[in-house]
Amino acid sequence: MSTPRLLNLVAELTYRCPLRCAYCSNPLDFASVEECLGAEDWRAAFRQAAGLGALHVGLSGGEPTARRDLPEIVEAAAGAGLYAHLVTAGVGRALRILPELRARGLRSVQLSIQDVDDEGARWIAGRSHREEKLSFARRVRELGLPLVLNAVLHRRNLGRVRRFVELARELGAERLELANTQYHGFALLNRGALLPRPGQLAEAAAVVAEERARGGIEIVFVLPDLLAGRPKPCMGGWGRKTAVVRPDGLVLPCHAATSIPGLEFWSVKERGLVACWEEAPGMNAFRGEAWMRAPCAGCDQRHRDFGGCRCQAFALTGDAAVADPACALSPHHPAVLRLREEALREPSPEPRLRGPDASSSSAPGAVARSFSRQS
Amino acid sequence: MTGRRSEGSPAGGRAAAAPASPLAPEELEARLLAVLDERYHHRHPFNLRMHAGELSPEELRCWVRNRYYYQTRIPTKDSVILAKATDPAFRREWVRRLHDHDGRAPGEGGLELWLRLAEAVGLDRDEVAGLRAVLPGVRRACDAYVEFVAGHDLLESVAASLTERAAGEIMRVRIEAFRRHYPWVASEGLRYFETRTEQAPRDARFGLAFVLEHARTAEAQGRVLRALERKCEILWGLLDAVEEGSRPLRVASRVLLRDHPAAPPGGGMAVLPERAVELNATAREILELADGSRGLDGLVVEMARRRPGAEDVAGEVDAFVREMLHLGVLEHAA
Repeated sequence: MSTPRLLNLVAELTYRCPLRCAYCSNPLDFASVEECLGAEDWRAAFRQAAGLGALHVGLSGGEPTARRDLPEIVEAAAGAGLYAHLVTAGVGRALRILPELRARGLRSVQLSIQDVDDEGARWIAGRSHREEKLSFARRVRELGLPLVLNAVLHRRNLGRVRRFVELARELGAERLELANTQYHGFALLNRGALLPRPGQLAEAAAVVAEERARGGIEIVFVLPDLLAGRPKPCMGGWGRKTAVVRPDGLVLPCHAATSIPGLEFWSVKERGLVACWEEAPGMNAFRGEAWMRAPCAGCDQRHRDFGGCRCQAFALTGDAAVADPACALSPHHPAVLRLREEALREPSPEPRLRGPDASSSSAPGAVARSFSRQS
Repeated sequence: MTGRRSEGSPAGGRAAAAPASPLAPEELEARLLAVLDERYHHRHPFNLRMHAGELSPEELRCWVRNRYYYQTRIPTKDSVILAKATDPAFRREWVRRLHDHDGRAPGEGGLELWLRLAEAVGLDRDEVAGLRAVLPGVRRACDAYVEFVAGHDLLESVAASLTERAAGEIMRVRIEAFRRHYPWVASEGLRYFETRTEQAPRDARFGLAFVLEHARTAEAQGRVLRALERKCEILWGLLDAVEEGSRPLRVASRVLLRDHPAAPPGGGMAVLPERAVELNATAREILELADGSRGLDGLVVEMARRRPGAEDVAGEVDAFVREMLHLGVLEHAA
């Protein structure tokens, strides 16, 4: 098959982050991933991505503003013709460097909001930065940048959907992403604390419908696939639109793809982005439909959900090539039902937060280490 | 029709319910005049700005170019009214309107005088007469007038023409305003307005007498009041469309306009947060013209010039611009 056109690049600039969210989408072994791409490496990756047809780049992490060279990286993204979008927690240096980022070509900002109050934020992320985040959001709007708020939803904050919407309206966000936790990595470990109780989602969905009817803001509300009975169209299909570049240069089809053993991904440092996207064996492992078996092969939903999430299939069945067990048509769907049942047992545990950051980030030998992950 | 009233418009909804019992002729006349006072387009923000000298030459040209389409509908509308009339005396009177607008020979009449106004404000008369750049909102409003007359009886059709009762006054104010605020418009251009200060009151006297004589029941009186309201709405809608069409447009500051390998030749992508819009060459051409110096009207005019053979350039540009506004690719500049 011909390689699909790359449309979106996720640049995970660093895994460092002052927050310790219990649903963090970084890999469980994030602390061992070396941060070895410099601004010039990113510049080269952005140019190649633009050449492949990429339109957007999400400058993400970890917390991307933890990188001192972020202004240069933003400039490199804009210079390559990419639409530079910052995905940030809005803490630390973020507020101070925002004007410079805008001057260097930043186009839009997504700010994460863990909860509407300090207590909730501390429960899920270890600390609250409420005032800091609000100041940051206001600054984004003052600078005329489009603002997206992103709130990851779980058992403890699902009942506060209306307050999230009110906050988003007050801050002048044009879009609010109410993203239900997807249960991978840290979130899968914490499912006992995070998975919504029966009824919570329907209540939240009703509030969302009311708030959407009021207009004035775009509200995205995605059901968690474990409860929806339908698989999510993970990343819009494996290696189909989006490439994720890790801090160590490894190019992946999604944030979590290294959780599947035996897949060989390549690094931009060694091979350049084009080869990593088009030729890396791991990137091609689940591209298109050739890998599909029943019930995905021949299913009329396969063009919509692309067979769901490969990482989830592996995590719950040990085989990344079976249908996503989140799908009610999967013979492995009972595994999801069991997981749900266990996760809803009382008493509800406290979440285990993501560990503190590894302090050393660019030890020599980083590239060799990243390659050792491939086989 | 578009029908959405601008801010600052008079009360939106319909006011005149049919009177409970028949009104005396003087009472009906007072009610009709009250409709005009409240709803005639002399109160429209665009007209107020015109008369206050606040229109830019481009805005004035937009109005002249588009209003010509209304002028062309008047003889059509009057022909439809003539076809409904069975009284020779009525027809003898009403046929004069055709002569007023069409003239008795080439180079005469109201349509010709409007084209001279067009030249006086700097427009090309053939371009105006060709009607290719008429804004779709204006076209809908004017067509709605002809359709109204076609679909209603003679009494309501005549009642709809009673906006002429207010036309003499608005023309006097307009002539004064043009002389004072737009001295660059040669006085030859104002002849249409001048002829209307005579014709409109004469025509209105006949129309009003006809309506007062024939609308005797409360039901008929309700219908004539509603007909005049509807006509006021149509004129208001015309100015709404002109006003909207002259608001400058630009590519939104958040949008990144760029080439793209997947786009058709000459096209590209308009990239926004979370989404992108694929553009063909024409779409890109229009977006590049939307540089804050022109509105929908200016885009339509320029594209009509660039695509001399194309049909319905105005409709296509209008639909495209609306979609781009909806997607946030275009925004109004001020």
